[in-house]
Amino acid sequence: MKVVVDQKLCEGNMKCQQAAPEVFEVRDDDKSHLLIDRPPERLRQKVKLAERMCPRQAITVSDE
Amino acid sequence: METKDALSLESLNIIGPDYYAQNGYPHREWTYLRKHKPVFWCEFPKTDPFWAITKHADITQISKQPRLFLNGPRLLVFVNEEGLEQSPTPPFRHLLDMDPPEHNEYRAIVSRHFTPRSVRPLQPEIENITRHVLDEVTGREQCDFVTDVSSKIPLAVIAELLGVPHKDWEQLFRWTNETIGGGDPEFQAGTTAQETMERSRLGLFQYFTDMVADRMKHPTNDITSIVANGKVHGQPIPQFEMLSYYFLLVVAGNETTRNATTGGLRAFIEYPEQWQKLKRHPELIDSAVEEIVRWTSPVIQFARTATEDTVIRGQKIKAGESVCLFYPSANRDEEVFEEPFKFDISRDPNPHLAFGIGQHSCLGANLARLELKVIFSQLAERLDHAELAGPVERLRSSFVGGIKHMPIRMKMKPAAAAA
Repeated sequence: MKVVVDQKLCEGNMKCQQAAPEVFEVRDDDKSHLLIDRPPERLRQKVKLAERMCPRQAITVSDE
Repeated sequence: METKDALSLESLNIIGPDYYAQNGYPHREWTYLRKHKPVFWCEFPKTDPFWAITKHADITQISKQPRLFLNGPRLLVFVNEEGLEQSPTPPFRHLLDMDPPEHNEYRAIVSRHFTPRSVRPLQPEIENITRHVLDEVTGREQCDFVTDVSSKIPLAVIAELLGVPHKDWEQLFRWTNETIGGGDPEFQAGTTAQETMERSRLGLFQYFTDMVADRMKHPTNDITSIVANGKVHGQPIPQFEMLSYYFLLVVAGNETTRNATTGGLRAFIEYPEQWQKLKRHPELIDSAVEEIVRWTSPVIQFARTATEDTVIRGQKIKAGESVCLFYPSANRDEEVFEEPFKFDISRDPNPHLAFGIGQHSCLGANLARLELKVIFSQLAERLDHAELAGPVERLRSSFVGGIKHMPIRMKMKPAAAAA
């Protein structure tokens, strides 16, 4: 599972960090940063929730 | 909800402002459409035809493609009541009718000021404003919750954010009402809706022209100053776009939060066990706020226009046709929400679309959340009893779902002594 955050779209709404704090961290630049870009399978549900909850739809999760 | 489908596609009305004024949201009709015709071609009198989109997944899919589905050509669906090709909102050029790439440039000027991190420091001020408003009705047995409470707080907050001095807040309030609710007789100070809106628009424009001149000379930290001194492609923002920007912030930051607040209290009156739950478990406030926003969905619809032939849920949409996104319908979508017609403050996750989604998602969502959090936290602490003391009066609009008046009988306690 591979996660990408489109930094141009991201506005630091924190929804991803709330859904999957193991994977996303919104920093003082108001952008979401990936703590791991290939999260383990056990986090899939949380990561998918983050993708879904992002107001800007800036997160893409793929199975590469 | 009725189990029998007594509706038919030929007769249902989901866009007439009178329907909304009399009945509130057409949830029965939307439920029918989600089930039978989720992408539905609508031809209503005095209305340009459109596709009604009622499913959560379809609204999301459309909203994620801002270059395929433009905002500019048609911002929303409205009924041309005077038979003219005119918008219910006066002419502007702001974030709502802009498209990429211009939209991104304009949005970036202020977006950093509306992140959770940026709005958090406003909390003490919002708490003060709210406490003051609630103090005003404390000791009374009855009030109009809209006039006395829910309309006051969001206006004060946005006025504060823009740096508008207190003495001008009432005037700002009036212009806002007249501009967005111009189709409602109560807010028509002129003879026609159009005249009323036009006068308010000019009033707001003049007011902000003066403020901009001041902020260019003496920059401050308020949003007025940030927009006044903002740049697009390295150039200052043209005057018309700049004034439109303020207009958007005043209007969008106002009515919607007011209506969420009113509708939220109304939901708690209707579901007293949820109210007791919030009182007992103040830690549920964040999910309660999301549920209030889902439940009330103050923005009824925005439209998009397809730039090329495309397909939604198997239905062909031709270039130039528009789709109307009914957000409250998405927020009752049975495929997304368990028991969607149940008001449940512990609902989690709550992927509602009340703030929209994608590049046009509500800029002020985090501010609205913070306001609602403060308001309902204080209400949970101080409001011991509330019940309707008369019928609610709804705004005559199929764009913003509003309650104009909500008389309540209540028992409000004084604020607890400051710690």
